[in-house]
Amino acid sequence: MKISMAIQSLRRSLLPGTARSPPSLSSFPKLSGFAVSASVRPRAIVAASAAPGWRTGERTRRWGGFCSGNSEHDKALGSCFYSNGGAASSNYGGCSYLELSDEGLMKQCEMGTFKTSGPGGQHRNKRESAVRLKHIPTGIIAQAVEDRSQHKNRASALLRLRTLLALKVRNAVNLEAYSPPKELLQILPLKSTVRGSDCGPQIGPNNPKFMLGVQALLDLLSAFEGSVSEAAKLLGLSTGALSRLILSDDSLRLAVNELRASKGLKPLK
Amino acid sequence: MKPTVRPSFVRAWPCIASDFSTFFLRLPPPPLAHARNIAQIRHRRIHSSLSPPPPPPLLASSPPSVPPPLFLRPPKYTTTVADLLEWHSWAKSLAASVGSSFEDSDNGPDSRLLCRELNWLMEDVLDGFDPSLMHKAVARDDPDVIVSSRADVQELYRLWKQRIEERRPFQYIVGCEHWRDLILCVREGVLIPRPETEIIVDLVGDVISKDQGLREGLWADLGTGSGAIAIGIAKILGDYGSVIATDLSPVAIQVASFNVERYSLQEKIEVREGSWLDPLKGVEGKVAGLVSNPPYIPSDDIGGLQAEVGRHEPRLALDGGAEGMDDLLHLCNGAASMLKPGSFFAFETNGEKQCKFLVDYMQNQLPGSFCNVNTASDFAGTQRFVTGFRNG
Ligand SMILES: C[S@@+](CC[C@H](N)C(=O)[O-])C[C@H]1O[C@@H](n2cnc3c(N)ncnc32)[C@H](O)[C@@H]1O
Repeated sequence: MKISMAIQSLRRSLLPGTARSPPSLSSFPKLSGFAVSASVRPRAIVAASAAPGWRTGERTRRWGGFCSGNSEHDKALGSCFYSNGGAASSNYGGCSYLELSDEGLMKQCEMGTFKTSGPGGQHRNKRESAVRLKHIPTGIIAQAVEDRSQHKNRASALLRLRTLLALKVRNAVNLEAYSPPKELLQILPLKSTVRGSDCGPQIGPNNPKFMLGVQALLDLLSAFEGSVSEAAKLLGLSTGALSRLILSDDSLRLAVNELRASKGLKPLK
Repeated sequence: MKPTVRPSFVRAWPCIASDFSTFFLRLPPPPLAHARNIAQIRHRRIHSSLSPPPPPPLLASSPPSVPPPLFLRPPKYTTTVADLLEWHSWAKSLAASVGSSFEDSDNGPDSRLLCRELNWLMEDVLDGFDPSLMHKAVARDDPDVIVSSRADVQELYRLWKQRIEERRPFQYIVGCEHWRDLILCVREGVLIPRPETEIIVDLVGDVISKDQGLREGLWADLGTGSGAIAIGIAKILGDYGSVIATDLSPVAIQVASFNVERYSLQEKIEVREGSWLDPLKGVEGKVAGLVSNPPYIPSDDIGGLQAEVGRHEPRLALDGGAEGMDDLLHLCNGAASMLKPGSFFAFETNGEKQCKFLVDYMQNQLPGSFCNVNTASDFAGTQRFVTGFRNG
C-alpha cells in the first residue's frame, strides 16, 4: 500500500460557518447497513474501545461493511481511532473543549490527510479525501473518510471529535457541592424531581446539545464510581429511569458500561 | 428515528433541475484532450492577447448530447431491489477485479477507492429512497420491492463499465464534484476541481477576515474552470465585494456560468471569456484580490498522467508548457498592473520547485511590485501555493 499518513500542524480556520448539523445519513449507507445488520441504529456514533476495525461510527462501519470491509487499509484507519485510556481516566477539563467554537477546537488539533505518492494537485484524481484530526491536549483522534469532499470530511471529523471528547474526557465533580448543570437536566426525563420546569422539553440524541448532557452525566457517574443508583438519587430519578435513559443511546450505554467494567461492575443491559 | 431519505442538496435545487437538460444539451462538444497538438494550444493560450484565438476545432459534426448530472435528473425510473442488488454485486466484483493494477500502472484508484465511488454513485442515483423498504424487502425475502432512481439499471451497467474499462473519471460519470461545501457540476471539457485547491478559498478567507477593504473589493479568479474558486470566494465575501471569473475555454465558461446560477450568485460573479488578463480590461489597478490555479504540469509529464486525468481531462487545463510555468509566469508578470496597492494574490503551483522559483522570481525579477511573498502548503504538506500582496 503506497498510502502513508502525513500529519501536519495546521493552525488555520476550518469552516466558514461554525455550528454544522451532523452529516445527514444519505440513503445508500443504510442499504449497506441492512446488508450488514438490520438492527443497528442510524444515529449513534459509537465510541471505540481501542478495538481494531471500523469503529468510528455506525455510518462508517456500514460503508466498510458494504464495501469490502475487510480491506487492510480500512482496518488501519480504524485503529487510529482509540480511546484515551478508558472512559474514566483523564481529567483534562473536557467541558471547556466542548464549549470551544469549531475554529477554536480546530486550533487544538493536528490535521492529517492521506497522502499518496506522487505530486498531487492537477496530476491526480483519486477522491482520497480522508481527514484525520488529532486533538493534541487529549490525544483523541477522530476521522472521516466517507464523504467526497475533504471539507465535509473535516466537518464530520470535528463533529466526531466533539462526541469523543464528551464520552472520553472526564471532569472532576465535587459531590459535596453538586448541583446538576443545565445541560444535564435537559436530557433527563420530565419526571425528574430536580429538573424544574424552566428546562424545556427533554433533549434527545438527535439534538447536538445532547452530547453536552451526556458529558455531564458521565462525569457524575464517574464520580460515583459507576453507580447508577447513587447518580439517580442526585438527579431525582429512580434507578430504573436513569438506566433507561442510559440504554436509550448506544454511545452513552457503551461509555457507561466501559466505566462500570473498569470499576468491576456488571454492564447495564 | 426518521431516516434521511435523500441527500439534502437535491432539496436545495429542485426548481433548476428542469432547465438543466436544455442547458447541458446546448454545450459544444468537449475538446478531445489527447488528440490536440500542444504547440497549437500553447499558441492559442498565451498569445491570444495579440491575435484572436481561432475557433476550437469541431471534432464531431453534430454535438453529442450531454446528459445532465445524475443527481439533478428526475427520478423517473423504477427498479426492483433485486435488480439493484444484482447490478451492485456485479459492479463491486468488477471493482474488486481491479485490485491494485491501476495503482501500480499509473497511481490510479484501487479497488477500495472504486468501491467507495460505487457507494457515491448509488447516493446520486437513488431518490427518496427509503432504506426501511430495503430492510423489509430483504427481511421478508421480497426482492420485488420497487425503488425509484435517476437512471435505469441498464445505464448503471454502462456507466460503471466506462468507469472501469475506460477509466472515465467518476466525477464525469455522475456529472458533479463535491468541493468544499459545494456541489459543482462538471462534464468532459472542464477540469474537475481538486481538493488541494479548496485551500485557496481558505487563504482568501484569512486575508479578508483581517482587511475589510479587501472583503469589499473586486476579486478575480483567472482560469475558473467549473467556477469552483470564484464561487467559494463569492460565498465567503458574503454581502460584500464581487468576483470576475474568467476562462479561455467556452465549455468552462458555460459550466462555470451554470454553477454560478445554481448558487444564485449571478449578481456577485461575472463570468468573462478570454485569455488570462485580457478579460480584466477596464479594471486595471482596481483588483483587490487575484487568484488562479492555472495549468502547471510540465508538457513532458502529460503522457504519464493517471488515465482518468490524462485521457479524459482537457489538456488546456493541465499543460503548463515545458517547465509547467508558462501560465504562472505570464500571470505573475501581468498581475501587478491589475492589482491595486495592498491587494492580495494567490497562485496554485505544481509543488515546492515551482513555488520556490516563483517566490524568487517575484522578489528579484519584479522588484518593488510585491511584498510578503510566501508559500503555503496543501493538506498533504506539499508546498503548493504562492501568496503575497501588491506593494503600496
Ligand atoms: C487547472 S485548471 C483550473 C480550473 C479551476 N480554477 C479549478 O481550480 O478547478 C486551469 C484552467 O485554466 C484555463 N485556461 C487555460 N489557458 C487559459 C488562458 N490562456 N486564459 C484563461 N484561462 C485559461 C483552463 O481552461 C482551465 O479551466
